[in-house]
Amino acid sequence: MPSKSFDTPFLATPDTLEIRQAEHPFSFLNSKDEKLNALIVEAVNRMGGVGDDAEENYRRALNSLTKRGPSVLDVILAEYENLPEDSYLDRWSLVQLIVELRYPEAVKSLNRIIAARIPAEKFRKSHDMSTVAEEVMIRTTAVEGLVRLSADGVDEARDVLLKYAAHRTFSIRRACVQGLMQTGTDDDKRKLRRLLKERKEEALLKIKQVDVRSAPQPIGGRFVVPAQVKREAPPPDLRATKE
Amino acid sequence: MASCTYTVPDKAASGDNFYGAVICNQAYVDYFWNTYGFSGNKAYWDDGWGWDDCCNTSKPLARAFNGCYALTYSASDYLNDSYSAPILNWGRRYVRENIDDLRSFCGDGTAIARSKSGGLVEVYLGFFYSKDVPGRAETLIHESRHQGGKPHDANFPSGSVFGSGKSGADSSWDYEGAWMYGALYLWWYFAEGARTTSALRQRARQRGNLVIDNAFATHPGFSI
Repeated sequence: MPSKSFDTPFLATPDTLEIRQAEHPFSFLNSKDEKLNALIVEAVNRMGGVGDDAEENYRRALNSLTKRGPSVLDVILAEYENLPEDSYLDRWSLVQLIVELRYPEAVKSLNRIIAARIPAEKFRKSHDMSTVAEEVMIRTTAVEGLVRLSADGVDEARDVLLKYAAHRTFSIRRACVQGLMQTGTDDDKRKLRRLLKERKEEALLKIKQVDVRSAPQPIGGRFVVPAQVKREAPPPDLRATKE
Repeated sequence: MASCTYTVPDKAASGDNFYGAVICNQAYVDYFWNTYGFSGNKAYWDDGWGWDDCCNTSKPLARAFNGCYALTYSASDYLNDSYSAPILNWGRRYVRENIDDLRSFCGDGTAIARSKSGGLVEVYLGFFYSKDVPGRAETLIHESRHQGGKPHDANFPSGSVFGSGKSGADSSWDYEGAWMYGALYLWWYFAEGARTTSALRQRARQRGNLVIDNAFATHPGFSI
């Protein structure tokens, strides 16, 4: 660790920030079932869990929601469509929820999410902020839902994957092609190859899903900190000491 | 000086609700403050940025700490930060060795973060409020790679969500630039991230694939 300066009083004036706490992001305008609404909120909340029991808590929340049956899909989709366009993470979380529930009836909802027009980029001058990127991640997550349903034998999911293999956005096309090649029937794959040939996009078939261990890894490090200077991190599971 | 306001979005899916309850411990606050470039920069984390309220995950400092927690502890064997281990292990080491000063600013809405000379990295509102927790760790690694001597060296490919033909891409995966470091971190987080949920790991996968598909002039030919 390099030695650091003290926190010297500052002569210039740094930026100031005022935050406002938002209301709960979900309105549930279309659902008066408060218990169901609470289950949806809990499942989304548990998505962001941390700690050794995070996944267990998340699965428990999902199981409670699953018991309510596929009628929850309409409530989740309505919430998705009622959220402000720029609530990207909240919108994504609802799509992820649809994916996790794995109801065959979800094909219609997932199709609708992917089909929605992607609004024009709001950060045209940025190289690392992109509203189009956020929209595409929402849709590739919906594609993942279709892939899982296709693997479960839901024919309609495969039809939708084939349709969006011709989507105008590269990442959505790529995800559909990979998903259909992995889970489709021989007939689906024949149709897909024909489509890609017509579109002169057979190169998409060459992009393979691989394990991270077989991807080229970088050689990290510009220099190595001597062991005697390095300070170890505290253990990850200390309890909070103050609120 | 700029003044900015921000309406804090829901903290559930981003991970801030739960990470917030964990990082509120003086041992973590001290470690993150002294390790990841906050030390010496109090003035940039005061005046609404959270210096006097570092457990409040509505404020930027706690949200930065949440990203630091993910960066530090997402490998199950986090104490091994050898460069021969996966980037999930040594990402935290690479950040601490390359970012000397981490400062917060309002920003002009055109960037999440910027790397300046001399080990200085600036993070803007989008870093705290549009990125999920592992995404903040990805950003710190991305900017650290710039500090490590790798600027972007190409234009984004045709059809890229980041803007066809704009500068800011990396030429290839083998260039081992900032996009490769960030994507690879997310990839490992998806594959082996510990103390998290399958949902946040899926989020990392989607973001990693987006980077692989759109941020290299020549597509690497694989995906997550």
